[in-house]
Amino acid sequence: MASDAPGGRDEAVAGRFVPLYVLVNGRTSPQDSNLDLATQVIALPADRRRLESEYLNVLDRCGNWISVAELGAYLHLPLTVTKVMVGVLAEQGYLGMGAAAQQIVIDLRLLGSVLAGLERL
Amino acid sequence: MDRTSVKIVVAGGFGTGKTTLVGSVSEIAPLTTEEILTQESVGVDDTIGVEGKVQTTVALDFGRITISQDVVLYLYGTPGQDRYWFMWDALAQGAVGAIVLVDTRRLETSFAAVDYFERRGIPFVAAVNQFFGKRDYSEREIREALELDADVPLVWCDARDRESSKLGLIALVRYAMSLLDGRRLSHNSAPY
Repeated sequence: MASDAPGGRDEAVAGRFVPLYVLVNGRTSPQDSNLDLATQVIALPADRRRLESEYLNVLDRCGNWISVAELGAYLHLPLTVTKVMVGVLAEQGYLGMGAAAQQIVIDLRLLGSVLAGLERL
Repeated sequence: MDRTSVKIVVAGGFGTGKTTLVGSVSEIAPLTTEEILTQESVGVDDTIGVEGKVQTTVALDFGRITISQDVVLYLYGTPGQDRYWFMWDALAQGAVGAIVLVDTRRLETSFAAVDYFERRGIPFVAAVNQFFGKRDYSEREIREALELDADVPLVWCDARDRESSKLGLIALVRYAMSLLDGRRLSHNSAPY
């Protein structure tokens, strides 16, 4: 495909030297399949010296709780890549993860608090 | 760790005001994230005979509302084209429900969304977006055209207006609660 020429759009935009598929070792899905685009993560104290800069960029955004989708948007990374990178960081103890959205039991109490929150807006 | 994300999907046909609605209630300017998809191309149009893999980028707009210290609500606008169903699946999984925006000038663009949530038993409300502030059709006419079940709420809204969008979200959450409650009550009253 013409747009896949070396130094194509992605690399040009992000000034990236390492192709995305190399960064994530060719993985296309996170090992932890609970990772959802709404899952929130937070950086944990850990020695970051061995991390590549792309991973450090992710961690830098995670000083406060942030969702996978937000990370992707801020870092201009496709969602799949973001998910895999977050998965790698979580596995290695760099990131803590909140409850996975698809595992949350939507109960009346949770909905009640969402309702109250919306009414306060 | 106690940090809960709650999702609401904002669906509807192309140009019905999904991103507008997300933007009017979100506490952050709507963000866009992209998913790169590789699909088998089926010989169509000018690519006949050139079957292979095609890369498509699907953009996803979303916003955020902090409900409390541990609960954050995310609003996801579905990608414009209906053919990205599998993206819808990822969005809908675990969602509280959906707001299906309806443009009365092009009702048919929202059929697919209504059908999608109906089939999966995901709570949804139909929100008729009144861009121009007038009601060309009655609620009954719209319900009939969309073949809405009698208990599915229909709200009138202006997606540009924060208060109005908020009321749409509230209607959805109330409806989802009533369904949950109904299920619980019917369990309790089941004969033993």
